[in-house]
Amino acid sequence: MNIYVYTIRRSLYVIPILLGVSMMIFFLFNFISGDPTSILLGPHATAVQMAELRQELGLDRAWYFQYWDIVKSAFTFDFGRSWTTKQQISSMLSSGAIPSMTVSIPAFIISTVLSISIALLISFFRGGWLDKTVVFVCVTMMSISSLAYILFSQWFFAFKLGWFEISGYENGFPDFVPYVLLPILIWVMMTIGPNVRFFRTVMLDEVYQDYVRTARSKGLSEYYILFKHVLKNAMIPIITYVVIQIPFLILGALLTESFFGIPGLGSMTLDAINGNDFPVIKAMTILTAVAYIIFSLITDVLYTVVDPRVRLK
Amino acid sequence: MSEKILEVKDLVVQFNTDRGVITAVNGVNLEVYKGKTLGVVGESGSGKSVTALSVMGLIPSPPGKIASGSILYRGEELTTIEQTDMRKIRGNKISMIFQEPMTSLNPVFTVGNQIEEVLKLHQRELSKVERKKKAIEMLTLVGIPSPEQRVKEYPHQLSGGMRQRVMIAMALSCEPDILIADEPTTALDVTIQAQILELMKKLQKDLGMAIIFITHDLGVVAETCDDVAVMYCGKIVERGDVKTIFKSPQHPYTIGLLHSIPAYDSTTGEQKGRLTTIEGMVPSLFDLPKGCSFQDRCGYASDRCRSEEPSLDDVGNGHGVSCFTPVQK
Repeated sequence: MNIYVYTIRRSLYVIPILLGVSMMIFFLFNFISGDPTSILLGPHATAVQMAELRQELGLDRAWYFQYWDIVKSAFTFDFGRSWTTKQQISSMLSSGAIPSMTVSIPAFIISTVLSISIALLISFFRGGWLDKTVVFVCVTMMSISSLAYILFSQWFFAFKLGWFEISGYENGFPDFVPYVLLPILIWVMMTIGPNVRFFRTVMLDEVYQDYVRTARSKGLSEYYILFKHVLKNAMIPIITYVVIQIPFLILGALLTESFFGIPGLGSMTLDAINGNDFPVIKAMTILTAVAYIIFSLITDVLYTVVDPRVRLK
Repeated sequence: MSEKILEVKDLVVQFNTDRGVITAVNGVNLEVYKGKTLGVVGESGSGKSVTALSVMGLIPSPPGKIASGSILYRGEELTTIEQTDMRKIRGNKISMIFQEPMTSLNPVFTVGNQIEEVLKLHQRELSKVERKKKAIEMLTLVGIPSPEQRVKEYPHQLSGGMRQRVMIAMALSCEPDILIADEPTTALDVTIQAQILELMKKLQKDLGMAIIFITHDLGVVAETCDDVAVMYCGKIVERGDVKTIFKSPQHPYTIGLLHSIPAYDSTTGEQKGRLTTIEGMVPSLFDLPKGCSFQDRCGYASDRCRSEEPSLDDVGNGHGVSCFTPVQK
């Protein structure tokens, strides 16, 4: 079977997963979260007002119409209008995605490339002082709360030293650049610790394999063995770990965005949660699920490229 | 006598462990001659693999190190050689095959790629096309059917025996002087074992290389080796040509090993008598007894064996025995 047929067949598995996800979203928003009209109108609303709002928001329709809306939106990305801003959610999403990605994509690339390089370097000098120091620093960095990074950097780097903008955002390149530098730096600092430790473990698992001994017995240099033999084997777990992070890049970083005033999907979600804007929260939930499903599909297909042992069946 | 190409002199290899320093190889002397096969026999932990890895310069360091002694390859000292120079010898002049054919090849590269890699490293004059041709040639040489197809395959598509053949093809692709085979047939079926041994013997004849054959299987030794060194607890306890070792062994350990081979009646195929074993266990390298390491398992041990260490003395014709009470027949 070739890779195209495999991809198509694997894509068909998406359908039942989407059905399950849409059902869970339906139950969460329609039965568990309580009556949205009483949340929106407050405790002193009259029954007539509530009934009017219910009709206005389309909550009086039969449950299968409401469920169908969720399923449909997973494919059409038409999520209706926001309850608070009255804007089309799809246009809110597309205008919010870009600011999110101006932070998340550079940060993700820098963090991943840097972590893999550091992990390769310390697996080369495994057990030495460099390895021990790096691991120690990583654990220390992992142990610090993300809030501490954000608040300290805003105070020290932006306010005291004046190297960066404290907060804010401007649309269009290169105007946004000064605003995203510090959030990118913080993102990298927050993720590099766990990344390096994961990549190091993966590589050390490979370094002690028999095929590495064979490669040495051929007379290959340690450097070459690490880059050719070890790295390609280590790519298998690394790909899963890296690709599955991509959906979250589109969705943005909740805390970082709202602290830095970046009008991305992260701060939009946070605002929606605070304002009980159900359709926006629902849209973000559906979007996350869809993105996650798509990228796990991509991971599966990539496996077959990296690992010849994965049979296409 | 043919040309001596490798000489190991008083080799001592030590490992630093959490429980202290252990001496895995303790004063080993070996000589390897062109076109001949030297068998190194011993139980697990006797230091035979460590000796082989020392010759390859592949002792994991730390924790291991060659504490003293010398390894001379055609007069060149390998214990103090620069790593870059050693890499030119490894895989090129001295190559090695291992016990684990299932895991010794890299799973994510094709068989052809892995053979060509050695050629690319040591035979730079070959073009890409020539390397490809040579890889197919090597697979043909080790008896792999439809080699043009096989070079494009990955290790998981081959059986254990086929993978060991690929390892041999890889090890021999630069026509080395010495092939070190560390229990190459242990993980294989008996019938495949015989095929691999046949193949190695044939290739040795064709290419004229020396083989250091590490094994615990005396049956294999009898079939393939010219000379034998028997190791116990990091030392050679007896050495000689294969006939002498099998016909008139003198060290009680060698005799014990030979008695532990099941004997079968050649006409009826029934086992002759009960299988004998060597009583006791190999002592831990952490607390070797004073004197001869074999004393606790030896039926002939005297007070002298418990206080003094015997040395490997020549008893004639290159037959060396390290024992105060050798068994004379």
